[in-house]
Amino acid sequence: MTNMIKTESVKHEYTSHTGKSIMALNGIDISIEKGEFVAILGHNGSGKSTLAKHFNALLLPNSGTIMVKNIDTKNEEMLWEIRQIAGMVFQNPDNQIVATIVEEDVAFGPENLAVESKEIRKRVDEALKAVDMYEYRKHGPHLLSGGQKQRIAIAGIIAMKPECIILDEPTAMLDPSGRKEVIDTIMKLNQEEGITIVLITHYMDEAVNADRVYVMEDGMLVMDGTPKDVFSQVEKMKSLGLDVPQVTEICHELRKEGIKLPADILTVEEMVVELCRLK
Amino acid sequence: MSIKVENLSYIYMKDTVFEHKALDDVSFEIKDGEFLGLIGHTGSGKSTLIQHLNGLMKPTSGKVFIDEDDINSKTTVKKTIRERVGLVFQYPEHQLFEETVFRDVAYGPKNLGLDDNEIENRVRFALDMVKLDYNEIKDISPFDLSGGQKRRVAIAGVLAMKPKILILDEPTAGLDPRGRDEILGEIKELHETHKITVILVSHSMEDIAKLVDKIIVMNKGKIVFIDKPSVIFRESLMLESIGLGVPQATKLARELKEKGLDIGECLSIEDAKLQILKVLRSKKND
Amino acid sequence: MIKDITIGQYIPADTPVHNLDPRSKIIITFVFITALFLVNTFFGYIYILAFMGIALGLSKISPKYLFRGLKPLVFIIVLTAILNIFMTEGEIIYKLWKLTITKEGLIQAAFMCIRLVFLITGASLLTLTTSPIALTDGIEKLLNPFKKIGVPAHELAMMMTIALRFIPTLLEETDKIMKAQMARGADFESGNMIARAKAMVPLLVPLFISAFRRADELAMAMEARCYRGGDKRTRMKQLKFEMRDIYASIITIAFGGLIIWSRF
Ligand SMILES: Nc1ncnc2c1ncn2[C@@H]1O[C@H](COP(=O)(O)OP(=O)(O)OP(=O)(O)O)[C@@H](O)[C@H]1O
Ligand SMILES: Nc1ncnc2c1ncn2[C@@H]1O[C@H](COP(=O)(O)OP(=O)(O)OP(=O)(O)O)[C@@H](O)[C@H]1O
Ligand SMILES: [Mg+2]
Ligand SMILES: [Mg+2]
Repeated sequence: MTNMIKTESVKHEYTSHTGKSIMALNGIDISIEKGEFVAILGHNGSGKSTLAKHFNALLLPNSGTIMVKNIDTKNEEMLWEIRQIAGMVFQNPDNQIVATIVEEDVAFGPENLAVESKEIRKRVDEALKAVDMYEYRKHGPHLLSGGQKQRIAIAGIIAMKPECIILDEPTAMLDPSGRKEVIDTIMKLNQEEGITIVLITHYMDEAVNADRVYVMEDGMLVMDGTPKDVFSQVEKMKSLGLDVPQVTEICHELRKEGIKLPADILTVEEMVVELCRLK
Repeated sequence: MSIKVENLSYIYMKDTVFEHKALDDVSFEIKDGEFLGLIGHTGSGKSTLIQHLNGLMKPTSGKVFIDEDDINSKTTVKKTIRERVGLVFQYPEHQLFEETVFRDVAYGPKNLGLDDNEIENRVRFALDMVKLDYNEIKDISPFDLSGGQKRRVAIAGVLAMKPKILILDEPTAGLDPRGRDEILGEIKELHETHKITVILVSHSMEDIAKLVDKIIVMNKGKIVFIDKPSVIFRESLMLESIGLGVPQATKLARELKEKGLDIGECLSIEDAKLQILKVLRSKKND
Repeated sequence: MIKDITIGQYIPADTPVHNLDPRSKIIITFVFITALFLVNTFFGYIYILAFMGIALGLSKISPKYLFRGLKPLVFIIVLTAILNIFMTEGEIIYKLWKLTITKEGLIQAAFMCIRLVFLITGASLLTLTTSPIALTDGIEKLLNPFKKIGVPAHELAMMMTIALRFIPTLLEETDKIMKAQMARGADFESGNMIARAKAMVPLLVPLFISAFRRADELAMAMEARCYRGGDKRTRMKQLKFEMRDIYASIITIAFGGLIIWSRF
């Protein structure tokens, strides 16, 4: 296995305009493997976005190192390679679309990378097909739904041929069907194209699909493991201001009543199977 | 206070190529003191509808009554309607503008022309309702607060108008689970202790199921259902066909029932726990 | 209200006019406007009309739509007419107290109004058939020779693109904040000038903050997509003069010649 992103005791401090300093990252050691699907959870202000911005050199650490595919993000000469390898999708779809036509926006990244124009055309078409938005290529982005806009933003990253995509709460402003569109797209890119995914979210059910879940609190990683490891610790998750899927909590409640169920049930299907067995 | 909507229709950009019927012959009634949920997929017309309920938008056709007053008649003063019907928009923290929390929350009461004493009372009341400490926070700039606190201050800005009807458009969007539960808890408390009529727009079926007495389901500008949550969430196939869903607990109960377990309707974790325990224990006693 | 303005909204389609190189279209529009000001007889307008007719026919834009774009500008047209009618001296045909209507005035008014209508419809035909991106691209390319004397062609074009992209978003935002403050009892419509100016504060402050936040986030997103100024950029759609541009140029030159000839 090769490392996609590896950090060593990364610290980052902000100084607010009142002069107060905030330790947003306080010693982060994380290593994300190529092809992995990683979810990062944590309450508001725990440092998730700050960490994400370190993964493609939008921010640099005060101390510690971040290696993206073995390139140190402090290496200024490699800045554009790093940003091409690790693409980023942000929360508000409206604030990351540059152009007034969908396909022009998707072309923005490759154009910046000085890709040849025929090749850009090819990449744009492929990227739009990959997110299932090809038929909207001539549309104006302001007429699309939130979920569609986010898929355009993802296409804009894919067209840069990244090896890793970091998504900072891409579904926060979407409705359930928009969220599903985006999550399905992400999963497909991970499984079919082998793109490494780092997903930051407040929706626990989205993290259930990940290979690995990290939980942040006050600039530190406080939990990590498979979704089953992490979500089965219902009390701890709640104490961190987070949540678990409803079935996991039902299961937890039943276990407290002495029902013999495994602790790590995450989906309705698993729960049905287990309960039918008990019957 | 009650709301009655009669044959309400609204068309955006009438008479252009972009013409779009966002509300199509909508009628319903909400009784005093009800807690109502409004659900529907993106673009189904929820935001358009609630803006009609305090006169921010004028119907293309149809009428809206607040306590028997037709809010669009010439004799009704808009300000008295907005005093009675408070509307909290999506991401309400984007409307903050004053230098201190006190002054921002006081903006609404000031517009109502209240005296300083009453304004202060209102601000205290409103900050209290959203669980912020008046003395600690009143002189801080709202822009120095955390996301969740900003959201609370913004909601307090509407509560300070002391509305009899409170409408909230996705008040928990973007908050973490704890922040979400806290704000919903505060709204619930407001409803119970002050007998305010509440309309909650939300995309979370779990939250809706947990909180409301009655649900309005919208699809493509029309109301397709109005009923109790237990009745609405029975229609999971219909809900899915219009881009909505049911709470996980409800889905679990339904699938267990299909497998032959004797389980009734469940809307919450608590329901599901009790029902499943009942079934499992009765089996043991056989 | 603000959204009802249709003037200049690009309507995508696949027609010879749409597919023309934006540079040709900008230059043609330029020639067209110059020609418009050279016309000095009503008869001269026939050429203009014919030219417009060909362009409109080829672009498949409905004349009704084009003329609706005039709606918000009706006031200006009417004002032009009134000023011309009453201010021109000559053979008096009607007298009302101190105001006189002259024959010359009526002719002049009609002449100016037609010119104005052609001016507006001609310019909007350009924006209706050219995507904002293509337009800015065209402007960038046309300005490129002036780079040497310090005209920041790429930056200007980028700024225009982003402005165009965010106008609808900011209009929507304005509408939303305005409504949110109205829900808190704000009154933007009554009172004297000072009261009204004061009432704008709760609208303008959040609007500025939001615009800055958007700008900040957009800058971050552009950086994340490797944007580093115009130097090394390539373009997906390269502007290329084609046969149709040559045809269009020939027609335009002929048209310009006709107009000049018609003056004598
Ligand atoms: N530009 C900045 N200047 C000063 N402080 C900042 C800045 N950005 C973030 N912070 C602070 O750093 C901490 C971590 O913020 P960050 O945005 O990384 O959190 P987050 O986990 O992404 O939160 P959320 O879930 O709300 O997005 C917070 O306390 C925040 O207030
Ligand atoms: N200002 C506007 N101009 C034109 N069309 C609009 C405008 N605002 C909304 N619409 C359209 O009206 C329809 C209803 O919109 P509305 O905002 O009421 O939906 P909603 O149910 O609140 O959706 P969401 O869940 O996304 O908030 C949508 O199709 C939308 O595109
Ligand atoms: Mg964040
Ligand atoms: Mg809405």
